[in-house]
Amino acid sequence: MDRSHTYELGGRDLAAVLTPPLGVLAIAALLIHGAAALGWLPPPRPALDMDRTVLVHQAEAARTPQLARTVVIGDSSGLMDVSAVVVSAGLEEPVRNLSTLSYVDLPTHARLLREYAVTNSGGLREVVLLLHPETLRLRDPSSYHSRQVVDFLEGRDAAPGPGVGTRLSLWLGGERLRGRCLSRWLPVPLAGEYGRFYGFTTDLERYLEAHGGSAVDPHTFDRQKAQGTAEYRLARRFELESRTFRDRMPSARLYVGLTPAPESFVGADHATAVDRLRTQWSAWLEPDGLLTNLPVTMPDRWFASVTHLNSAGSVEFSGRLAAEVKRARSLSGTAGAPEGGPRSPR
Amino acid sequence: MLFNSDVFLRFFAAFLLLYYLVRGHRAWRNVLIVGASYLFYGWWDYRFLSLLFLSSVVDYSVGRKLAVTEDPARRKLWLGLSLVVSLGLLGFFKYCNFFVESFAAVLAQLGLSASPPVLNVVLPVGISFYTFQSMSYAIDVYRRRLPATRSFVEFLAFVSFFPQLVAGPIERASNLLPQFQRPRVITSAMVGEGVWLMLWGMFKKVVLADNLAPLVEQAYHPGVHSGPVIVLGTIAFAFQIYGDFSGYSDIARGLAKILGFELMVNFNLPYGASSLREFWHRWHVSLSTWLRDYLYVSLGGNRRGAVRTRLNLLVTMVLGGLWHGAAWNFVLWGLWHGAGLAVTRRDRRVAGTAPLPGWRRGIAWGLTAAFVLYGWLLFRAGSFSEVVRLTTSLGRLEWPVWIGSYALNLVVFSLPLVLVQIWQARAGDLLAPARLPLVPRALLQGALLGAVILYWEKQASPFIYFQF
Repeated sequence: MDRSHTYELGGRDLAAVLTPPLGVLAIAALLIHGAAALGWLPPPRPALDMDRTVLVHQAEAARTPQLARTVVIGDSSGLMDVSAVVVSAGLEEPVRNLSTLSYVDLPTHARLLREYAVTNSGGLREVVLLLHPETLRLRDPSSYHSRQVVDFLEGRDAAPGPGVGTRLSLWLGGERLRGRCLSRWLPVPLAGEYGRFYGFTTDLERYLEAHGGSAVDPHTFDRQKAQGTAEYRLARRFELESRTFRDRMPSARLYVGLTPAPESFVGADHATAVDRLRTQWSAWLEPDGLLTNLPVTMPDRWFASVTHLNSAGSVEFSGRLAAEVKRARSLSGTAGAPEGGPRSPR
Repeated sequence: MLFNSDVFLRFFAAFLLLYYLVRGHRAWRNVLIVGASYLFYGWWDYRFLSLLFLSSVVDYSVGRKLAVTEDPARRKLWLGLSLVVSLGLLGFFKYCNFFVESFAAVLAQLGLSASPPVLNVVLPVGISFYTFQSMSYAIDVYRRRLPATRSFVEFLAFVSFFPQLVAGPIERASNLLPQFQRPRVITSAMVGEGVWLMLWGMFKKVVLADNLAPLVEQAYHPGVHSGPVIVLGTIAFAFQIYGDFSGYSDIARGLAKILGFELMVNFNLPYGASSLREFWHRWHVSLSTWLRDYLYVSLGGNRRGAVRTRLNLLVTMVLGGLWHGAAWNFVLWGLWHGAGLAVTRRDRRVAGTAPLPGWRRGIAWGLTAAFVLYGWLLFRAGSFSEVVRLTTSLGRLEWPVWIGSYALNLVVFSLPLVLVQIWQARAGDLLAPARLPLVPRALLQGALLGAVILYWEKQASPFIYFQF
């Protein structure tokens, strides 16, 4: 027979090659899991990319003592469109921005507010909830993103995404090492424009901290490249989510508004559509005030994308937001009365 | 199929099992290798299997004709056919649009408007590698340095051998083809070395190159004009492309070793070179020796005087640059290296033919590294205008707040490579880490495996050289 190849090695030889590194991995996995169980590793803090850095930072801010008694919360348009510094100046009192991402559901945002209220005992007076019309039509929030927030708040290692490598890494303690140690020691570069503007995850965190939890979208809006339609509607999930949010949010007045879209992107009936959305949504939320005078559209030059204002647009919008909150306060009879009793949760 | 993907791991596990089962039948083994290699390649796009097959059929047939033809004119004709088909395939799939667009640009410069048809041609993965490998066989048979093979299956296996099919090393038929013709012996040392090479290659790709890629993207972002960041970004790119490409070569060699095959060393500590000449003896060795043997020598090499030798070097390197991609920045990169080689050729010591003493070697290393780094800037820049922007930005001493994080990432991810390579250089043995005693070997390989698993991406990132 025309022999092809011969193995001059047996099972023991093969084991001698393969077993030692696998043994080392197994021992390392035991050590990592053991150290985590015994509390020898730092607690989880998986700020490993843009999204998770925002989530971890805002969750951490929610449970850190703050001066602000007014908190802005919402999706990424709340994060990027609202300058906490400008709103603070407008209201002449500190304001904290705890906005996260559109993928995070409303009950998780309510959880952040509860953390804030518990940490700053009696210090949360007003909540300004802002979403973009684009978010209101999102059919499904991302359980992954919401879970990241909850896991962080509860001190659990974040559940990793799918994939054989990730699962293996989870068993071997790699995910624990990544979320507890690497994320603290090794900043991760951010992609694209965010990378150019902020640099790394740690720099984004520094920026967020220095700006009261607000960020800036450094992109430039290009109408030609903008995708999607402006046919905004309210996804059904928001009814339950909004009612849950209202039930679970701590005792504080709630003002609700929508963030703007670029003028050239929306149709002529956009203002009517937004009004309808806001009315419907507020029926579920039962807020103490509706921020109806916020601009529903703004000139394209103030936008970074369809859903985010740029730095200049954010300053403009934040000034208007401060004025609108003042107006809402006066309508609900709390103007100039910061100690006015907050509404009790239902 | 990418080496750094889940599907490849499953593919290779299944292949190993079948490979073990056919150990008694050489013909079946070669059929299995061809089948697996075509599956491996077709996983990306089955339509391009026809090109791989066509290239193999033509060069096999030319080889058979050359074996039975003594008439020099007819032999030249047969070789010409092989070159026309191989270079024709490359020219159409890789350079067609480049030349059409460049021609239109030249016409536009002359004030003539032209809107030539631009074809949406997809570049078949690895076409530059397998056409060069197949072509070298025809040339070697023509030069009577190699007997033509009779077995078509063996030739198919030689051209399509999956460990090195899409990104090399570009094997010579004289080395690889006989291995398909003879029984292979797989020893425990070979498996040990193969495992080390695969692990080290995966580490270089998955941990080093893939983590440096975002740093490079960041530094080469059109909005970045900071000289220090561009310098660090270019260093990061030097490590990224090295980790990516040499990682692929190491994995290829490791896979082949486990199957009982020996592939050539494609990278031999190139960043330790203290002259350009030495660098090109250590970087992408399979391509540089290919260009030397089949292009530079054919142009006359160093046999026609000093001026012609330099011109030959320049032409060879420019074409070598163009081999990497149909873009002018690759031509510029080739020109940069060609000019460097031509200029430094004058001084034999600078050119690296004689060892330099102590500190002078250090200076020569620094100068070589700086030269190679600027070459990488040319290579990485997407266009001439980018080359100008990046080069002028080098003088702007802007220090973004994140430069510390940038440097930290660069050091963390490239340091393991630097340390291992210093060790390999001192030991004078690229496989020194595979020959460690049990405990340190287990610790090293365990650490590498852990890091690879930690950074293993669900969506595997392609190797840079796939686009060439």
